[in-house]
Amino acid sequence: MQVSKLTEIRWHGRGGQGAVTSAELIALAAIEEGKFAQAFPSFGPERRGAPVLVFNRISESEHIRVRSAVTQPDIVVVLDPGLLGIIDVTSGLKDGGTLIVNSSKKLADIKLELGGPWRLAVVNATAIALELLKVPIVNTTMLGALVKSTDTIKLDSLLEPIKERFGKLAQRNIEACKRAYEEVSIAELIPASERIERAYVKESWPSWRELAPGSVVTEPGNARSYRTGDWRAQCPVFNHDRCIKCGICSLFCPEDCVNQNEDGYFEADLYHCKGCGICARECWTQAITMVEEIEE
Amino acid sequence: MRRVGFESSFAIAEAVKMASIDVTSAYPITPQTHIVERIAQLIADGELDAEYIPVESEHSAMSGCLGASAVGARTFTATAGQGLELMHEVLYVASSMRLPIVMSVCNRALSSPLSIWGDHSDVMAVRDTGWIQIFAENAQQAFDLTICAFRVAEDPAVLLPTMVHIDGFHLSHVIEPVLLPEVEEVNKFLPKFHPRYTLNPSSPSTMGDFATPDLYTEAKKSQDEALRNSMKVILQAWRGFGELFGRDYLPVEMYRADDADVLLLTMGSFSEVAMEAIDELREAGEKVGLVRLRLWRPFPFHEFRRAVTQAKLLIVLDRAISFGGPGPVCSEVKAALYHLKKRPQIIGFIGGLGGRDISVEGFRNMIHRGMGKAEQGKFEEFEIFGVRE
Repeated sequence: MQVSKLTEIRWHGRGGQGAVTSAELIALAAIEEGKFAQAFPSFGPERRGAPVLVFNRISESEHIRVRSAVTQPDIVVVLDPGLLGIIDVTSGLKDGGTLIVNSSKKLADIKLELGGPWRLAVVNATAIALELLKVPIVNTTMLGALVKSTDTIKLDSLLEPIKERFGKLAQRNIEACKRAYEEVSIAELIPASERIERAYVKESWPSWRELAPGSVVTEPGNARSYRTGDWRAQCPVFNHDRCIKCGICSLFCPEDCVNQNEDGYFEADLYHCKGCGICARECWTQAITMVEEIEE
Repeated sequence: MRRVGFESSFAIAEAVKMASIDVTSAYPITPQTHIVERIAQLIADGELDAEYIPVESEHSAMSGCLGASAVGARTFTATAGQGLELMHEVLYVASSMRLPIVMSVCNRALSSPLSIWGDHSDVMAVRDTGWIQIFAENAQQAFDLTICAFRVAEDPAVLLPTMVHIDGFHLSHVIEPVLLPEVEEVNKFLPKFHPRYTLNPSSPSTMGDFATPDLYTEAKKSQDEALRNSMKVILQAWRGFGELFGRDYLPVEMYRADDADVLLLTMGSFSEVAMEAIDELREAGEKVGLVRLRLWRPFPFHEFRRAVTQAKLLIVLDRAISFGGPGPVCSEVKAALYHLKKRPQIIGFIGGLGGRDISVEGFRNMIHRGMGKAEQGKFEEFEIFGVRE
């Protein structure tokens, strides 16, 4: 039996947003404070843009033996607002826990969508990161929001691990972290709040009896049904006034998801577009711009 | 029907010819060389219309078989000892992709010290690769069981690769009389290979794909069920073979064991030597018998239990050493009997390593030594039979 207080954190982000780094820094900071901590990702075929899960466990005074995924977190941190519509980020979140969301929306609006018997913290980490770091990588920014809205670790404990990890870039990351610490808005817990139910697509897996011999896949091209559009953090927007219909965007698209429409203009199939931005970079007339994915 | 003098290697090559394989992808290694040399000769002489893929290693040999079988070719290869070890990772892929490749393994010891001679170290190292594994005891059985292996492996309810084990040199290089059926008779027994799934550009499919933790367990369960269920097809095939050709095979075969208090368990070519020893002991009035484990995978739990539970003592000979543990066959046998109330006591020997011969007299001594150890209650000990102290 674990008698010491155990805090479990689940991070929701996308490959490339730095959720793994966030969790590692939290663990390092906690260890720096003399606590026991773990940080580990849900190991899988990591790809830039794909939804990823990362976990922390922090214990005040005991070695942590459990190594399984965190399914009933005390704290959930969402790095990417675009995930809110596709993943049940509050799944298993304990009553009295804390949900921390990166969003440009107001706290009151987020509460209407993700309210429940937990504390809610909202910060526009993307805006802070773009301003201070010039990239939409929000990991260090969200650490500031986490430190402010929970008593997991102290802000000072993070400074050394951030310096170690980021070297020359450390100062700017520390600034981003501190800015979020100041700007995060927090709605205190109302214990009896009802959890707002939302519908999500559930994954279903076959029983062993349903598998073909050798698990052979007999449906050719079934990767088409895989919604890689969920990986997108930025969306290409096509300006027809500048488009000369040359098709360079379509040629360079590594997913072959930019195609010509009836009017001869090009557009991206957003079910598959991963938001890599190659089309925008290659466009001769700069008719394509990448814009932040809008929250659902 | 023809009666010829063949070593087991040639008998197997003849079976491969009659099975009219499409592809062999093979690398020669002692003591298996005669099989693939003979097949190469048969192809070169136009007696067998098949593709011979010469490769630079056994890893490539099995990989070549994998590709050939996946496109629907009847595929055969052969190897031994170190060669089987070099194939190791691809063996798992073949069974997991459910490709009915047939392979002869001329059982050979593993280095080092280098030994080209026979024992079962190579077999035991691939025990868990998901292949059906059958032991032959003489050249006739090597022929018969190779023919049967194609029928079992390719059965739509099985689709699993199959190894036919023959002891290196003791079988591979020994000339004996073999009865060869006419090819028309073989064709009656062995239907053409109609694979259920093939790699074909006009009807694309994916084999050997990737599985996350959400799926891998189910994939393995499905594979394990297929191997366990292959038992039914194996029994049917051997029964069918017996009806047509008059030679019967069973997963566990007994010799003078009905009223035996003491049973000896052997696999492969030593079984026939041990029969001689049993005969001599029977003549001297001793109630001893022999259990021959023909089917190693899937392990014939039911047949094995039925065969040995009446005996007081079971002496198990392993031709492989599991360093620091019991002999692999002995530990399997103990596990199979553990939960039974009525079961024999078990004494394990390890012997016949790296081609070390065990004579008829040797088997007599082994049985007596086993009985002596049982009387002294030395059940924990694993003795290496005949080792110089």
